[in-house]
Amino acid sequence: MPALLLLAILPGLYWDAGPHTAGTLKQAGIDRVYVPQSQKDAWTAQGVDALAIDVAQLTKLGKPGVQYRMNQASATAVPWIDANGWQMDRDPKRTYYYDVPAAAVPIAMAEAYSRNARAVIHTDPPSFGRMLMFLKGIDQPALPAQANIGVIDDGSEIAAEAMNLLARRNLLFRVLKAPDPKLDLNLQPTAKNASDPFAYAQDVRQKLGDDKRLVRLYGSDVVLANLTGNGAQARLFLINYSNRKVTGLRVRLRAPYPKATLHVFGIENATPADYLTEAGATELTIPEMNAFAVIDLSR
Amino acid sequence: MERRSFLAALGPLALAKDTGDLPHYRVVTQHKPAAQPGMPGAYPGRVIAVHSERSIEAGTNKVDVAVVREMMASGMRELTGDKDSRDSWARFFTPSDVVGIKLNCSGAPNIRSSPEIVAEIVRNLMALGIKPPQIWLYERFPDQVESVHYERYVPAGVHIEAIEKDRRSIAGYDPRTYVEVDFFGEDDTRSNMIRLVTERFTKIVNVPNMKDHGAAGVTGCLKNIAYGNFSNVARSHAGAKTNTLSFIGTLAMVEPLRSKTVLQIMDGLKGVWQGGPFLRDKRYQFYPKQMMFGTDPVAIDRQLLPVIEAERKRQGAISVWERTTDKRKFGSGQYIREPGHIEFAAKLGLGVYDADKIVRKDIKL
Repeated sequence: MPALLLLAILPGLYWDAGPHTAGTLKQAGIDRVYVPQSQKDAWTAQGVDALAIDVAQLTKLGKPGVQYRMNQASATAVPWIDANGWQMDRDPKRTYYYDVPAAAVPIAMAEAYSRNARAVIHTDPPSFGRMLMFLKGIDQPALPAQANIGVIDDGSEIAAEAMNLLARRNLLFRVLKAPDPKLDLNLQPTAKNASDPFAYAQDVRQKLGDDKRLVRLYGSDVVLANLTGNGAQARLFLINYSNRKVTGLRVRLRAPYPKATLHVFGIENATPADYLTEAGATELTIPEMNAFAVIDLSR
Repeated sequence: MERRSFLAALGPLALAKDTGDLPHYRVVTQHKPAAQPGMPGAYPGRVIAVHSERSIEAGTNKVDVAVVREMMASGMRELTGDKDSRDSWARFFTPSDVVGIKLNCSGAPNIRSSPEIVAEIVRNLMALGIKPPQIWLYERFPDQVESVHYERYVPAGVHIEAIEKDRRSIAGYDPRTYVEVDFFGEDDTRSNMIRLVTERFTKIVNVPNMKDHGAAGVTGCLKNIAYGNFSNVARSHAGAKTNTLSFIGTLAMVEPLRSKTVLQIMDGLKGVWQGGPFLRDKRYQFYPKQMMFGTDPVAIDRQLLPVIEAERKRQGAISVWERTTDKRKFGSGQYIREPGHIEFAAKLGLGVYDADKIVRKDIKL
């Protein structure tokens, strides 16, 4: 199984400022960089591991983050999350491109890393370098994605929006060409049944039932989850889209894992609190998280 | 952890038949009820109302501290039947208690648990030998609490704690004590109890105001102790619909909140007859100039209803019982009000609603 020994794919920095800025990259701890073809040789001559890339050929993603809007379903302001992970689930073979300000860098890198997707990011090197160091520190071979909902994707915008809304509700899905009877729910979003994607996602949640959800989050509307695992161990990725810290996030997983290690970007020695395994589930609290937290769980 | 389906446990009450379809509540708590839970407590159905024209100066809102002291002493004595109010307080608290004083600051700074009343409660607790660090004034939101400046009224060492330092954070709440319910398809379906209540306090004094409430009809003891001790409760309203009817009582029943809340002191020096729980327009304030004492939150809130109704009628506003959101009717609001939450709470066992069974004693100073 040699593929399992490979570490997960780390996002790359796209940098077009020219080789005279090599010091900036070095200072940020970045030893590999994606550059325009026209600059590759000059970068190489500087001793930098430079890979040429044509960003026009990449799939561009929007800036991930949160907008606050009033929603009809609640008296309180509920956030609208701009997230891209579902696009990586939909087409994992592409290479994705972000052009984002420093504040969005940890979120963009977390999106790509948690999906084990290829992504290059055009941004501020120090921000990129800090997150890269964190990701290198927790890197391990990627585990298979966990989902109990199948979405049969016809390539339509309707299907796209349905996936977006499912991801925003932390309803973990797998993109399929045909129904998978092993899953709890198989969906085929169409213009007829998913013309209102918000209502569609809510309906999916009702059909699945909250008790069957693989991951539940309590205490925040701005954190999205992605779960990988192989039965004996699991890795849960949590991305906070708000650019403000989230405190006291309660996590519930539909599987008992007696052991857990918590990694939080920007926080040393983070430890899960109020740990509980019962009735076939695991619950724990993340005392504080910034943009990204990763929980490694094992039986 | 003990898990139980709350309404299933209530079975014989058949509440849904009376009130329409109710949400399905699931209460999770490890805490057992006390032999005599604090609500309705030692004096079910008993309400002491103390009125004094001198208690607050209308307009300036200046509170007469000496009169408040007299009102509290006489109210407590009458509640317990003791000659010395110290003995009255000693029926509820011992020197080893850690006491939470549940403020109401949702309408602060214009309407809130009067700091003069809170200070007098603290003084009485300390007279029993309870040290300042054993006393906690608490509320959910820091901006509201800070606007009142309770620290100017209570001795150093008394804690003044706002639980939800970051809005929506449940860091200050107990992850093992909660009510789970899906009202409108919201994704976060838990409302967790304040951790200080489950882990620190041994007793709680509830200090609500006398207010109209756009969702609950009125907000008194029950609303303050219920919505004021749990996270993520605003989700119970959407569109014109509010689930305050059943949610308030359901929350107030959760242990250990129910058992630890041993005393209700309603601050009615000033009130709000419209626009509550806030007081954004001072035209909606009025001056009942009274305080109510008891252990039964239902019986006290039952007395609150006519106070708010009378003032609304005097001002030409619709009754809190009128089920409308018609903006052409003065006093309507975003939600259909649910003052029936008080009777609902009585059916859960939180107190006495039947007016014929409530013993009210009025004192005028």
